[in-house]
This record gives sequence, C-alpha cells and structure tokens, in this order.
Amino acid sequence: MGSYIIRRLLMMIPIIFGILLITFLIKALIPTDAVTALFSGTVTEDKAAEAIAQIRAKYDLDKPWYQQFVIYVGNVLQGDLGESIRTRQPVMDEIGYRYVNTLILTAAALFIAILVGLVTGIISAYYKDTWLDVTSMSVGMMGISMPAFFFGFVLIFIFSVQLRWLPVIGRGNFESLILPAVTLGFIEAAALSRITRSSMLDVLSREYIRAARAKGLSETFILFKHALPNALLSILTIIGLQIGNLLGGAFIIEVIFGWHGIGELAVKAIQWRDFTITQAVILISAGTYVLINLVVDVLYTWVDPRVRYD
Amino acid sequence: MDKYKRLTLASCVFACLSASITNAETLRFSIGEDPESLYNVATNSLTANSVINTYLLERLVYFDAEGQAQPWLAESWEVSADQKTLTFQLREGITFHDGTPFNAAAVVYHFDAIRDPNNASPQAAKLGPLDTVEALSENSVQFTFSDPYAPFFNMLAGEAGGINSPSAVQAGGAGYGRSPVGTGPFKFESWLPGSEISLVRNDDYHGQVRADAMNQGAPHAERVVLSVISEAGVAQAALEAGELTGAGLQADTIGQFVDHPDFTTVIDETATNLVFLEFNSAKAPWDNPEMRRAIGYAIDRKAAAAAAWSGYASVALSPLAVGIPGHDAEIGVSYGTPYDPGKAAALLDELGWVDSNGDGIREKDGQAAEFLIKSYAGFTHITRTLQVIQANLDDIGIKAELETADWGAFYPSLLEDDWDMDLMRWTSNDAGILTELFKSPGHRNKLAPNPAIDDLLTKCDTTLDPVIRFECVANAQKALLKDMTIVPILTSWDVFATQANVKDYTIDYLGYLLPGDVRIEE
Repeated sequence: MGSYIIRRLLMMIPIIFGILLITFLIKALIPTDAVTALFSGTVTEDKAAEAIAQIRAKYDLDKPWYQQFVIYVGNVLQGDLGESIRTRQPVMDEIGYRYVNTLILTAAALFIAILVGLVTGIISAYYKDTWLDVTSMSVGMMGISMPAFFFGFVLIFIFSVQLRWLPVIGRGNFESLILPAVTLGFIEAAALSRITRSSMLDVLSREYIRAARAKGLSETFILFKHALPNALLSILTIIGLQIGNLLGGAFIIEVIFGWHGIGELAVKAIQWRDFTITQAVILISAGTYVLINLVVDVLYTWVDPRVRYD
Repeated sequence: MDKYKRLTLASCVFACLSASITNAETLRFSIGEDPESLYNVATNSLTANSVINTYLLERLVYFDAEGQAQPWLAESWEVSADQKTLTFQLREGITFHDGTPFNAAAVVYHFDAIRDPNNASPQAAKLGPLDTVEALSENSVQFTFSDPYAPFFNMLAGEAGGINSPSAVQAGGAGYGRSPVGTGPFKFESWLPGSEISLVRNDDYHGQVRADAMNQGAPHAERVVLSVISEAGVAQAALEAGELTGAGLQADTIGQFVDHPDFTTVIDETATNLVFLEFNSAKAPWDNPEMRRAIGYAIDRKAAAAAAWSGYASVALSPLAVGIPGHDAEIGVSYGTPYDPGKAAALLDELGWVDSNGDGIREKDGQAAEFLIKSYAGFTHITRTLQVIQANLDDIGIKAELETADWGAFYPSLLEDDWDMDLMRWTSNDAGILTELFKSPGHRNKLAPNPAIDDLLTKCDTTLDPVIRFECVANAQKALLKDMTIVPILTSWDVFATQANVKDYTIDYLGYLLPGDVRIEE
C-alpha cells in the first residue's frame, strides 16, 4: 500500500506539470495581460507606455511564454508562487485564507450532500415505488436539473430578503456558510441520492439479503450492516468525483454568496488577467483534486477489504 | 406546537443575528470589487478611487455645482500671467490621521511620487506638461508647467489629487496601499481582503472646509463598512434585506426601488459618461463627414435609452457629456443630428447610396452598404444599444454586422483597419477628454489632421481662465459636430438607493458622496 501511495504521489508531478503547461499555452493565446487590464479604460494608455513597459519587465511579461514558463516552474520548485500583478502582494497571502474558506465550504456542502443523499437514497430504495420514493426522486430530479446560481438566488430571496433569517453578505462566519453550503450540497445530494437508491436496490435483491431475512434479523440490522456496506463502494466513487464538482461548483456559488474562497478569487483574477493568481489557483485546485482521488482510492480498501493495490 | 416553537426560536436567533449586522451608527455600502490598493499613486481603478477620495483623502480643490474649482485644502491660488505657474496657498492647522502636519512638503511628496518612474504610476500621464513642484514655504506650493495645462484643476479635484501622509507612505513601503493615511473625515481601520473595508470616524477632524458640505463638523456616522459584492443582484438583495445602507442600482431594477416606501433613490442626471458611435475615418466611406451625419440622423437615441437603461439616461446630441464643465445643450440642438430617418435616407441618396436591386440594402459603385460595428463585451446595456443601432440602420437600408469582444481584445483591435464603426463609452470629468479622444490622430489613430478642431482643442487645454475656457469648449463642440467626428448617443445616469431613514445622501459635482453629511434617522 505504501509503495502504491508513493507511486500515485509521484504521478502528480507530470499531471501538474501538464496542467501548468496547458495554462501557459492558453495564456500565450490571450492578447492581453494584467498590465493592459490595469491601464484599461484610460485614454492615457499610450502615454503611459513607459510605466506599462516597466511593470511588464518586472513580472517577466515581456518575455516569450516558454521563458515565462521555465521561470515560473523554477520559482514554484523553490516554493515561490510569485506576486499578484494587480495587488502586488505575495500570492500565498492572497490565496492562503481563501483556500481554507473553500475547503470549509466544500466540506460543509459535502456533509449536507452525503446526509441528504444517503438518507433519501436509502429510503427510496427501501420504500421503492411508494409515494416516499416518488417524492424524493422527483425532488432529486429537480436538484439535478436546477442551475446552482438560480437555486442560490432563490434561497437568498426566501431566507435573506423575505424572512431575513440569514445574511446576504458573506462574512466568513457560520450564518454566512449556511446558504452557499445548502445550495451546493442540495444539488450534489440529488445525484448521490439516485446512485444510492440504485446501488441499494441492487444489493437488496441479492441472495444474502434474503438469507439474512430468513434468519429473522431485524430490517434495520439488514439495511445498515449488510446492505449499506456493500452498496458503499459505488457511492464512494461518486462522492470522490463530487468533491471535484464541489470545488469547481464553488466558483460560481462563492461569487453569488460573497464567500471569499479561491473560486471567487479565480473569477476576479481571470477578469483582471492576473495570471500569477490564476496559475496558483489552478495549481492548488489540481493538486487538491488529485490528492482527494488518492484518498478515495485508499478508502476503497477500507470499505471493501477485497480491494488490494499491491 | 413543539415544531412551531422551535421554528420561532430559530427565526428569532437568526433575526437577532441579522439585526446586529445593522446599527444606526454604521453606514454600510457595497463596492463592486476588492481594490488592488488604496494608494492613489499605485492605482487608477474607479473603485479604489471611490473609497480613497470619498472617505480618506482630501484634495486641494473641489468642484462646485457649476463645475468651477473651489478651495478645499488649498485656501487660494494664483495663476501667473503666462499661465504656466500655479501657486497654491494651503490651509494651516490641518493634520493627517497619523498626527503629522499637512503642508507644502506633503503636496510636493505626493506629486513627486506620481512622477517617480520607479513607481510606474498609472496616474503619471494625467499630470500633463508638469515640470516642477516646489514648496515655497511651509504652506505654499508652486506647480510649474512647460505649457499651460487647464485639465490640471480637474486632476487636482479628482482621483489622483488626494494627498497622503508622506511619513505613512514611507513607513508603509509596499504595504502602504493596505493602510492609507489621509486628512479625510474617516480613518482607515481594517481591510479583510476580498471581503470588507472598515473605516472609522476621524474624531480629530478639522471640519469640512468645503462650502458645499451641509455638515461642517465631524461626520454623523461613527463607522463606514464597505462590503465587496461583485454581483449587482446580490448587492440589491442585501439592500432589500436591510444589510446595506445604500447601493448603486442597475438600470433593470431601478423601477423596484423608485417610489418604494422603504427606500429613497438618488439620481445623478449630470453624469459624466458618454456613449457614442465613432468611425474608421481613415477609410471610405467614413472619411466623408456627410456619411457620418447620415448615421447620426438614423439613430433613435430615446429608443436606445429605453432599451438599454430603462429610460434612466439622457439623450446626447453634443460630443461632451452633460456633466462635464463646458457642456452646452444648445449646441447639440443647433448643430447635432436628432433622430430623423427621413433626413438620413435623403442624405444617403445624395451621396449615391441607393437600393438599386430592391433587396432592402443600399449599394454604391457595386459595394453593398454592409458594415461592421465593433464594441466591447460583457455589458448588457452596450449589447442592447448595439441592437437598437442595428435596427435603426436596417431601417435606412444599411446592414450592420455586430462584433463584440472583451475590452482587452476590442480596444487594441481598433488600431487595425477591418472595421467601420465602433460603439464607445468614456467617462471623464474634464473637457480635456475631447483632446484625448478626438485631437488628430485621435485615440485610435484614425483621424486626419483637422486644424479647425485640433487648434481649438489645444487652445481649450491651455486656457486656465474658466470663462474663456468654457467658450472655447463650446466652440470645440460645434466644430466636432460640424465634422461629425462622432455620433453622440446618450449619457446614462448614476442611480443609488438608500434605506428610507438615510438622510442627506448627497453627491457632489464630480460624483463623490459627501460622507460627513449622511445620517440615519432613528
């Protein structure tokens, strides 16, 4: 197992290198940079040519993209993610607390998704074709179909504008976390609920469940001790993929709810062409995604002892 | 019953939490983005400027309701006979928030910082032909120019003119932009990047030394909190939820707030932006002023204002926006091109553009009247204005293809030759904008030399006497309309809404809020 984990961690290097290379290629195709964005909207752009050239030189933007790439990779290897061209602050200062915020939001949304998704999925499977099943699957279908930004605005309208229970403006505290986490969590719960249902239905029709019932075991025991652990493998795969969705989906939700995470920062950085920030966000998100998938793969062995990587 | 009780308890807890967010002593406004810096030497962003110059920093002069410079941190000034030297007498006894004195050395330090090549300041070009800034005494400062430069007063009253504490700038180094120190009615307190900027009342405030402020003493409000909300819809939801004291409104939603008993709307109709069509005058047929005039008559500006700004915009016939000192509405009426599609069609006929094959599109010398209009993407009001223009041109037999791109791609692309018209929008406080945009070769190098315009614009920029300058600016507007250099379309209004209990939310001539005046009625 140890060697498997080390092998997977080493595989991260070419993956992240590839992602960075693609990022730099895309950047090379974009006709503007952070400096033109800084000076845009002023008619003095031409007159400010000297100042513009100076800033470009400072951030190596006057060099060809492959040279910028080599310089960047060299700096990253030394642990230096550079400086935001727009704010002139170290990238780590800009990203650090926001990364934590994004992880908090992702974790809260995942908690809601798992709780709601598993419970409704199990109920639907157990009470198959009853009104409970039909209702939870219909609500689930709505969750899957509804865009996150729309659902977010609906929640803001109901709980902030009408009822005034929760704040609109994100301040990084618990009350501000509820609405974005529910928005993200509910949408992911819908998909999880459907997978749980079909996976549980599959397991509940197996011979060993019938045998357990014949032995006279309680339904609760059968459901949670025999059925759920066996259904968990496919559910876990979906959860692993959903964490990636949540990290990505958090981008738009963070903007709507003013939750100051890396998603919101990335959207702003793209608007401002502040590529040192964009690159760092991509680097960190990709690293997180790869690591989470590794954790999920390792968890398989715990959920199903038959899975071996050695 | 039990459930009901729990729900009530939960709603009480949340309601109490929400209530704690707003209190009468705190003004809460939104800003559309996190400023990159609050040091006006390092940024020219509109958002940063609105924070710096509204609350923290003061300038040597302000503009009164007539658009005339009036003394603020400066007590008086003198202009030399050759108009190349300006000498300001500064007010005494004014201190920065850090306790250091405001004096001539602070003013010199500020302007030297803008001009220092090491700072690569985006404000540097706004200083024009400024040669030297000298402190003549503790409270007297002299600016010397190589040529007279009239827009300088506007610069002094605007974004680059706010004076920072030199000792704080030196002590703060690269981090100064995150903890600015000025002489304004509010002091910087804290900044949670990306989230909010908190300002606290300057209790040692010297008082509003500008005559247009209603409250000449310390501000009524104890604190100002500026929340970063990038989505306009979210800012409006926060306003409706009572979390904001006030917010700027998008045209689409103004109707919800006007006449609503819970809100007061403040509409600034003398805005300083202008939406206009300009031409690739370097190529035919746009090198002919009459062709440009035909387009001018074809545009239904009222329809554009209604479609793009829900009617919260003024029709523009003059090339200078209504809020810029020197704007003359009469000139627009006399020399402009009000909507008259019949006249537009007749002009096109005269120019030889006729629909000979009956396909609804005019032709001349075998060339169909099919033209490309470029503009920038991402703004609904620009897209809607473009659509109105397209429909208007279609009515007179011209087929317009629309192309929008991100500003960073669009603006440089105007240096190429592959376009016919572009829809532009500029905001400026000074008539100097006419020179920046329309003095040959123009801001996109498409304008042929035109002494009738170029000489006038030079004269306007080098005339410091406001009365004579306004006459000159009036003549420049006439000349630009005779040449039909651009087709002015409209000026959109700035609309704000505040909670109904907010009083004296006043905006000055340049669009800055007077924050010391704002009070919340209990």
